[in-house]
Amino acid sequence: MSAILQTTGLGKRFGAFAANSDIDFSVEEGELRAVIGPNGAGKTTFFNLLSGYAQPTSGEIVFRGERITHLTGPRRVRRGIAKAFQTANVFPDESVLQNCRLAALARAQGGFALEVFRSSRRLGAVDDAAREALALVDLASAADTRAGDLSHGDKKRLDIAIAIATKPAILLLDEPVAGMSIEEVHKTDALIRQLAKRMTVLLIEHDMEMIMGISDRISVLHQGKILAEGTPAEIRANDRVQEAYLGGRAETIA
Amino acid sequence: MPGQILDGFIHGLVYVAIALGLTIVFGMLRLVNFSHGAFYAIGAYVGYAVTERFGLIAGLIAAPIAVALFAFIYDRALLRYFYEKDTTAQILLTFGVAIVVEETLRLIFGGTTRTYTIGAVLSGSLNLGFITYPTYRVGLAVGIIILILAVYFFIERTDYGLIVRAGVRDRTMVQLLGGNVAQASTVIFVLGASLAGFVGAAASPIYDVDPGTGFQFLVPSFVVIVIGGLGSFWGAVIGGLIVGELQSLTGLLFPPGADVVIYVAMALVLLIKPTGLFGQSEIIGR
Amino acid sequence: MKALRFYALVVAGLVLFPFVIHPIGGYPALATQILIVSIATMGLNLLVGYAGLLSYGQAMFYGVGAYMALLTISKFFPDHPNFWLALTLAIGFVTLMALLIGSLVVRLYGIYFALLTLAFAQMFFFIVFKWRDLTQGDDGISGVSIPPLPLGLTSLDLTTAFPPLDLGIFGNLSDVKYWYAFVAIVALGVLAFVRTLTQSQFGEVLGAIRENEGRSTFVGFEPARYKLAAFTIAGALTGLSGALRAMFDTSISPDALTVETSGNFVIYAVVGGVKTLLGPFAGTTIILFLQNVVSAKTDNWRLFEGIIFVLVIVFLPGGILGTFKRKRSRALLSETIRTTPPHDATQPTAGGAAL
Repeated sequence: MSAILQTTGLGKRFGAFAANSDIDFSVEEGELRAVIGPNGAGKTTFFNLLSGYAQPTSGEIVFRGERITHLTGPRRVRRGIAKAFQTANVFPDESVLQNCRLAALARAQGGFALEVFRSSRRLGAVDDAAREALALVDLASAADTRAGDLSHGDKKRLDIAIAIATKPAILLLDEPVAGMSIEEVHKTDALIRQLAKRMTVLLIEHDMEMIMGISDRISVLHQGKILAEGTPAEIRANDRVQEAYLGGRAETIA
Repeated sequence: MPGQILDGFIHGLVYVAIALGLTIVFGMLRLVNFSHGAFYAIGAYVGYAVTERFGLIAGLIAAPIAVALFAFIYDRALLRYFYEKDTTAQILLTFGVAIVVEETLRLIFGGTTRTYTIGAVLSGSLNLGFITYPTYRVGLAVGIIILILAVYFFIERTDYGLIVRAGVRDRTMVQLLGGNVAQASTVIFVLGASLAGFVGAAASPIYDVDPGTGFQFLVPSFVVIVIGGLGSFWGAVIGGLIVGELQSLTGLLFPPGADVVIYVAMALVLLIKPTGLFGQSEIIGR
Repeated sequence: MKALRFYALVVAGLVLFPFVIHPIGGYPALATQILIVSIATMGLNLLVGYAGLLSYGQAMFYGVGAYMALLTISKFFPDHPNFWLALTLAIGFVTLMALLIGSLVVRLYGIYFALLTLAFAQMFFFIVFKWRDLTQGDDGISGVSIPPLPLGLTSLDLTTAFPPLDLGIFGNLSDVKYWYAFVAIVALGVLAFVRTLTQSQFGEVLGAIRENEGRSTFVGFEPARYKLAAFTIAGALTGLSGALRAMFDTSISPDALTVETSGNFVIYAVVGGVKTLLGPFAGTTIILFLQNVVSAKTDNWRLFEGIIFVLVIVFLPGGILGTFKRKRSRALLSETIRTTPPHDATQPTAGGAAL
């Protein structure tokens, strides 16, 4: 299997402050890679650079052999890099189903289409893709609920469903279980495992128990750079990683 | 030529005085006030009415007081409910109020243009060495400069001004620290309005008075604060002078372009650096 | 509402309109004017209510459309004045204008967007005002002889009146000119277009962008292009409106390009209800009625206009028609209009880079 996503020397500076620097990163197709690190390490910035939410100040990003470093966000999504936001980002006034349909619509029609005479209701494929995504995250029963009325945990899962509905090759999940109850965490854990069977998944999380159980490999970020990379066992045994997490005790967020 | 430059300078100072209120209110309250021109207009009319009867000094005192009163009621009764609303609701409301004010002034004073009469002492010209220039304009310039300095002093040196400056940066923090932001907000709003009202009265001997005056000065005021930077004190000062001079000099060199040029400048600023010369890059509204 | 029922209602309304207003002081020429201006209001409605962009410069499209129409007849092709040519040139030119200006303007948000549209509108105002050789400046253009409307082999003089038929308190059929019928058909067509648009894929995405531009971007849509399309369509409709108005009035003056005119469109749209299809008609009717009928009684009709506007904003943010629609959330106005850009990713988030 070859690297589906690769970065070389990737960096992001805000004036004098380097949120990310010199990141050489590579992930194989189908892998489930966790990106961890203490607060302030640059994880979300890294994801922002990958998704196109932010532009790097140095380095390159290659996706499936194509240099995407300066492509805008929408173009990356259409090429197959989808992300779920850190704070659940949905269309609050639309139904849960419509949220996913919009994503599927973008996938079907592209970034812009002056379809001023066609209704999207005629596009069965859009509907199917949306329902499929909802089924995967187990929100099918809430299809007609107004998205803004969902519980926090459900909103986060909807966010994931929206990302999935664009049929991505890579899914970026930024703290998908933050603020969830234990039950919801387990549900999301199972969901991510399901997703990992169909696509490459990059995951930022603080829940160490979950990370260790679910990941194929782990990348540790510290002060904007990659500190270590390896299998969960290797990372657990790594002294420098223990040190970076202050006193060797990895935190869990319940 | 020197006359034109001086004209532009005076013109600019008038813009500064109006724009200052507008920009500070924006910076402090995040409020876009399309009715700011109405303050100028009310000041102009009150100034005119009082001056006709009691002389210029009385007019210059009565005008800002009248405007302050109006602004206070306006703020307390209506506007403060819109502080937290989004920009567009604010634009629409203040725009609506501006129309109501303009039409009310028309109702009270009629639609004809009024001209001021100023006392003998102030009309006539001064010899400034390189040019003979109308005395009143010189007086106006001096008066506005003193006002600008006073506002600067207020903002930079007093405790109240501290709340203003901090409030521009972080409203919530100031409230948490115990600063009375609501009170300061009203004070700032009324102050900015009074400034515009005073200038309305003071500048009207030069510009005449008609109900459309409010909008006439409002739109260029926005040009000023866009160029200078929304929320910036020095932006209003420099921006005002730039706009004044730009209009005047273009009027000299290429008369048909005199009015267009400031909007071209405004468009360029919005497209290249929307936060203006001095504005910080921030997010406005919600 | 089902399409058939909707259109039946609208057609009935259009047919009855010039007569129904007669007892309350209205007259068919006013009805014609109202319909023409409603077309422009529909354009702004699309922009504000569906795309979430408050433009304070629609007057530039209105005025340029108007001038182009009259100039085509009186100056560009004086020997072969043609109704359709005037209309087409006007709309074509304004559409191009909207496309160019739009491509610059849609990058901005909220107050910046509004101010930039205002700036451009002012530029056009002063250009029209000062370019006396072309536009006759302050004097405006008047008394243009409008050619008849070519229809296949015949042509129709739109100033012809319908045959007389006494309708009692509703006036006489002969008060209505062919102009009204023509404009009613055009307005109906525009309404149908806008309705189809808002219910189409395009309208759906536009609404999504308005609701959450950040999310829309990251499912793969290109918001700027959608906004540009909306802006251009709105501009074109406004230009059409201006052209029709100028040809109906046979005159035009630079007043058509003032800030006041731009502001008027905003008032009509807001009073009627920015997220409704028929709101533009309602708002335009109310205000223009005020302007033309109340102004006969008092000079201060605009004061009433201002007060109504303020009252609507404070108490009925959905506009008159919007209040009847089932509102899903409060403050409809603030829901529909985006004032901040999606989080600017080139700056660190407040409180340091969030990780």
